Amino acid sequence: MKILIATGGSSHSEKALRMGAELIRCVDETPVVLTVARRKQDQPLAEAALQRARFLLADVPCDIETRLRHGRPVEQIIAEAKEGSYGLIILGERQTHTLKARLLGSVALQVVERAACPVLLAKGEIRPIRRILLCDSGAVVPSLLSRFTAQLADTLLGEEHITVLHVMSQITAWPGVPDEDLQASAEELIEERTPEGEWLASGLEVLSHPGIHAVAKVRHGAVVDEILAESQENDYDLVVIGAHRDAGWQRVLLADIARELIKHLERPVLVVR
Amino acid sequence: MHDPPNVEVVANEDRALPAWRRLAATTRRLWGRIHWGKIALFIVSLFLFILALTLMKDGARGLAPLVRDSFRVTNPVNSLGFGWLFAYVVMSGSPVAAAALTFFDAGVINQLETFTMITGSRMGASFIVLFIGFIYVLRGRNRVTSLSMGLTSLTVTWTTYLAGLVVGVIILQTGMLDGVQLQTGAVLSSVVDRIFDPIAGFLASFLPGWALFIVGMGIILASFNLFDRCLPDMAIKESQVGRVSRLVYRPWVMFLLGAGVTTISMSVSVSLGILVPLSNRGFIRRENVIPYIMGANITTFVDTLLAAVLLDNPAAFTVVLTEMMSIAVVSLVILALFYQRFERNSLRLVAAITASNRNLAVFMVVLFVTPIILLLL
Repeated sequence: MKILIATGGSSHSEKALRMGAELIRCVDETPVVLTVARRKQDQPLAEAALQRARFLLADVPCDIETRLRHGRPVEQIIAEAKEGSYGLIILGERQTHTLKARLLGSVALQVVERAACPVLLAKGEIRPIRRILLCDSGAVVPSLLSRFTAQLADTLLGEEHITVLHVMSQITAWPGVPDEDLQASAEELIEERTPEGEWLASGLEVLSHPGIHAVAKVRHGAVVDEILAESQENDYDLVVIGAHRDAGWQRVLLADIARELIKHLERPVLVVR
Repeated sequence: MHDPPNVEVVANEDRALPAWRRLAATTRRLWGRIHWGKIALFIVSLFLFILALTLMKDGARGLAPLVRDSFRVTNPVNSLGFGWLFAYVVMSGSPVAAAALTFFDAGVINQLETFTMITGSRMGASFIVLFIGFIYVLRGRNRVTSLSMGLTSLTVTWTTYLAGLVVGVIILQTGMLDGVQLQTGAVLSSVVDRIFDPIAGFLASFLPGWALFIVGMGIILASFNLFDRCLPDMAIKESQVGRVSRLVYRPWVMFLLGAGVTTISMSVSVSLGILVPLSNRGFIRRENVIPYIMGANITTFVDTLLAAVLLDNPAAFTVVLTEMMSIAVVSLVILALFYQRFERNSLRLVAAITASNRNLAVFMVVLFVTPIILLLL
């Protein structure tokens, strides 16, 4: 799998480089570090950013390729990812409070929305990835877990603790509807063979590799709030979520939960397509 | 297993027919699908609705001493509590809202008191789903799951209506909606008067005014009951509208859905009931419910608006329109500016109330004591 690390030389970008250093160890292909100079006069800064990247990645046991492109960062990162057929983009997220950023989203958010491959946002504390929280709604086929393992199996060392989280935010639409499932734990749902239990069980089966310790977990409450609470309470190194729908009526009608999570999660987030 | 080929054969045969015969066949098919029984029920319920309004309008004046002296409804706060308690008694908001309009038409209460009484009727009516859930809890069902929908509905309704009270009072006092009117027109008024005045006159010949109002109230309850039965079959399957129980929709989508469904059903509780067949297991996501209720809370006034038009009272029409506009403004501000915070706090409140029997008991006491205090103020 080919990895693209985007850097702008800021402290946020350094997080992306440190995160990249963790993952580069697991892949065969030469990773590429990209920086984008908006204007000609930004070139020295861009070159300095690449220099800094080479320094930070000096310890990784493989060659690093660096590239400099000119133009708008979002367009250039997407173009590079497309032309180079990358399997993963890693970048940091700078919190900007301008009106434009509020309306359109940060550069990182725009890359997440437009990239064709998974995007890893390096935020919060960067640590070796040992504890992973995988948030699956179960409503999309193929499941997030299948997509994660199919696209990013190379990045796993094979000794991670993975929690497969499903949030049941449902309530009964009317009093009197049979409601036993609404308070059930993951184990109970699996035992009862409810729809949630069925795919949680199949998810655990997908992850049943030696060394990987996978558990299923169900939380009850609003989806975004419960994922944020779970990530904080159990100190995960990485949170894996699905991207918002790419096209069709669902893109317009469904809530962009990925955007909300990216905005509020204070730890590395991997957005899988 | 043989259905699809048969359907294709029939479709092919249809295509072979001349256009006029195809049109005739389509018309016959559509004709066959019309539920004449439901249409008849709708006509009967509309007839009863207008008759009830006529009787309540004629009888309301006779209730003035009861309302003003016995119940002491002398200011907008009293009428808020009065409408609220009245909705508890009849277990519905729409008849109380209609009663408020007839009181206003008869000069028993003023415009502001009518506005707050209608608001009170909705606040009281939002208790119905909670009450049904409470009965299930008493029968031994899980407290949290049985009461979630009722409490969510009640929390959203109370919050938006309390904020809507402020907006509504400003709209009424500035008179900004006074120019917007929809009236029955002379012909319709004359037809309605010719049909219903003799019936009302006949009943008035042997019943006192207050009894006329009570009879009207009974008839309006019956008309709403009949109307619920003549609603089109809403048993839409989950697959036909997307997985409403599993996916989280954008708030404005559910807001428009709630408003649309309630425009037809005219009742928030009926609209909530319609959500059950929309999901395989009768579940609905919390995130989807809140904006749905917000939308439903606006269009639930469609029947009250109709009542205002039938009363042919422009000021009454303004009151109902103000009610709808104020709730719409509050809901849209919430949706546009701080929906996530609103949703989070509403759900937190629901969770806190159902956290223990003590909390629930305190909340139930508040539910009953608050309107009584408002009435006594």
